[in-house]
Amino acid sequence: MDWRLYRSHAYDELLEGAGEPRAAARPLVEYLTGLTAAELAARRLASELTIKAMGITFTVYTDGRNVDRAWPFDILPRVIPRAEWERTQAALKQRVMALNCFIQDVYTDQKIVKDRVFPKELLADSRNYRPQCAGVKPKGGVWAHVCGSDLVRDRDGTLYVLEDNLRVPSGVSYMIENRMVTKRVFPELFETTTILPVDDYPAQLYETLAGLSPRPGEVPLVVLLTPGVYNSAYFEHAYLARQTGVELVEGSDLFVADDDCCYMRTIYGPKRVDVVYRRIDDLFLDPEAFNPESLVGVPGLMRAWTRGNVALANAPGAGVADDKVVYAFVPDMIRYYLDQHPILPNVPSYLCYRETDRAHVLEKLQDLVVKPANESGGYGILIGPKSTRAEREKFRELIQADPRNYMAQPVITLSTAPTLTDDGLEPRHLDLRPFILSRDEPYVTTGGLTRVALVKGSLVVNSSQGGGSKDTWVVDVEDTA
Amino acid sequence: MLSRLADNLYWFGRYLQRAENTARLINVNTILSMDLPRRVELGWEPLVDLVGAHGLFAQLYEANGEDDVVRFLSVDDRNPGSILSSLHHAREALRTTRDYMPSEVWERVNDMFFYVQDKGERSLGRARRHVFLESILDCTLGIHGLLAFNMSHDVGFHFLGMGANLEQADMTTRILDARSTRAIPAEDGASFEAVEWMSVLRSLTADQTYRRHVRSRVAGTSVTRFLLQNREFPRSVACCLLRIGATLPQLPPDEAVERELQRTLLMVQNVVLEGLTGPSLKQTMDEIQKGLLSLNQALSSAFFRS
Repeated sequence: MDWRLYRSHAYDELLEGAGEPRAAARPLVEYLTGLTAAELAARRLASELTIKAMGITFTVYTDGRNVDRAWPFDILPRVIPRAEWERTQAALKQRVMALNCFIQDVYTDQKIVKDRVFPKELLADSRNYRPQCAGVKPKGGVWAHVCGSDLVRDRDGTLYVLEDNLRVPSGVSYMIENRMVTKRVFPELFETTTILPVDDYPAQLYETLAGLSPRPGEVPLVVLLTPGVYNSAYFEHAYLARQTGVELVEGSDLFVADDDCCYMRTIYGPKRVDVVYRRIDDLFLDPEAFNPESLVGVPGLMRAWTRGNVALANAPGAGVADDKVVYAFVPDMIRYYLDQHPILPNVPSYLCYRETDRAHVLEKLQDLVVKPANESGGYGILIGPKSTRAEREKFRELIQADPRNYMAQPVITLSTAPTLTDDGLEPRHLDLRPFILSRDEPYVTTGGLTRVALVKGSLVVNSSQGGGSKDTWVVDVEDTA
Repeated sequence: MLSRLADNLYWFGRYLQRAENTARLINVNTILSMDLPRRVELGWEPLVDLVGAHGLFAQLYEANGEDDVVRFLSVDDRNPGSILSSLHHAREALRTTRDYMPSEVWERVNDMFFYVQDKGERSLGRARRHVFLESILDCTLGIHGLLAFNMSHDVGFHFLGMGANLEQADMTTRILDARSTRAIPAEDGASFEAVEWMSVLRSLTADQTYRRHVRSRVAGTSVTRFLLQNREFPRSVACCLLRIGATLPQLPPDEAVERELQRTLLMVQNVVLEGLTGPSLKQTMDEIQKGLLSLNQALSSAFFRS
């Protein structure tokens, strides 16, 4: 392959410009240079066949029908040098530790509010604050056992945390499967580069979950609670259940008895459940406590949890910190709870409930990205530079009507990496979602899931909107010369 | 094992068996119609009665000729017992048990479902019907082969097998039942009895085995005895029940299930075959079917509704 025509207008993860590879990516780039376009196309075909044979899918709901689609995957990996990754890992542990302190504090003494580090009114208006959780103290003070944080890199190379997903983050199964595919498609590369393995995650997840059992000493019964086969992440639910050896259950498989314990319906009769790794949103978890219409939940589960008879991961109410306005306070939380300096910065944020910030946002709508506090998946966002005047006017009204619910950030030109397109190798924008397991000794995945916008120039990496993914390599740089 | 999983495996076994039996029924009736003299009219409607869908059929179709019955039984998704509907239900049951099964099973069921859905309508005429139905039979047998050799013979496998056996026992009694109510009237002293009983055997692929076991000409009493009481032929009612009985020791013990099974098995083994024709045959089959229904309910409340 010829790199002379490859030009990225953003920070490129593999090349420093003019065909010059970054140190960690040198063996990969040199290897690719030696391949013809036809050879590369053959590898791509091999990857597509592998993905089909391995049955790696995600479910899309269109036209009233659920369709299993093959997982969109780009065969060229994204490379991260080990030293940089170790710093990022430390930063993520620090961040999630502070977030867990915050959630526990919010549901008990609210010291951070009393000390005027976090404004009281934000809490009162938080859509993900659950009064049902007040006073609860989960084991080890951990609420967000599994967190997926999104990292982005700006044009100058700075790595930022864009958001923390503390409710039911997904994608980790694809991180593991992507590596399996790469091993089949580019086996030679594993001979020339030391690529750190990623498949430790299921064992770490199991350990995290089993450690939550309210009945220590016995072999815990751990289940993964899924909304069912029609959920877009069902592939992942089934994958994780299989890899960790826990039982994959639906709401109707569980019930809470008069003794406030949770049981699973088996052919041998009811079996007591110790830990529920729930992949159902809070509001659908227990029709007794939350949405009474929920058909996927388990009546009485909150009762069993508040009595300490069953552990829930993630804990209900953890989403209070998964709010784009609360996000802006994470660096303050790190300083307040841990007395440390934040290792990784947040993307600069303007919070519209503050008068000066709001004035700035309203004036600069055309240059900013405006986000509602509680949406996820890229919904309800205004991307200033790409917006029409009418859209901006609409947002001006929305912000003025409900300033608490909006925040704004400068547009980040996400970094790129070479991606195989129909027109050869081209830069495509990407982000990174590592997963963090919280327990006495927190665990961070090696790398994470790299999501890539397959559409030229697009900054949207969501798989439901034309995004794909790449294998993510954390490599030892032996030759830094 | 989760009750829901056991329930789905059981019903997967039932629906798969139902699809296969229905394909066989249509196939055999088509062949029988070719064996009869042209002036003798072979009714197709009894096939609809046999699967217990008389009312629905009358509601959906005005006529009751060959084309309508074949369409109703094979590709009509408004008929919950059609081949297409059975495969649809089997596929839905399999969705949540996919991880439990060899992945080829899902692929085959999927392929077969889409084959029937996409090609079915164009394959109903006599010219293509045989090939169409044979592909379904091949595919279901292929799945049983995969299950036998590629699936762990654990408790889930037993639930699947119980479903398949119960469905087969039910279908065998229905086929005998249908024969009891319908005899083509003799004409010019020539009776079609032997031809008809032969087609009963064929619809259960029992013709060869029957000949080897019975070594006499095909006649009503001996065919009925063979299909009810033979302990070795996999589609005979007694054999299906014995196979269910053989798996019970590997499941959590349940008195009601044990009792219903023994009761039905005794009923089958004690049927007096001499003079069993027409109404008395029908009544006996009805009794056995009720026994199978109770067994199904006992299994359901013992294992699926805990």
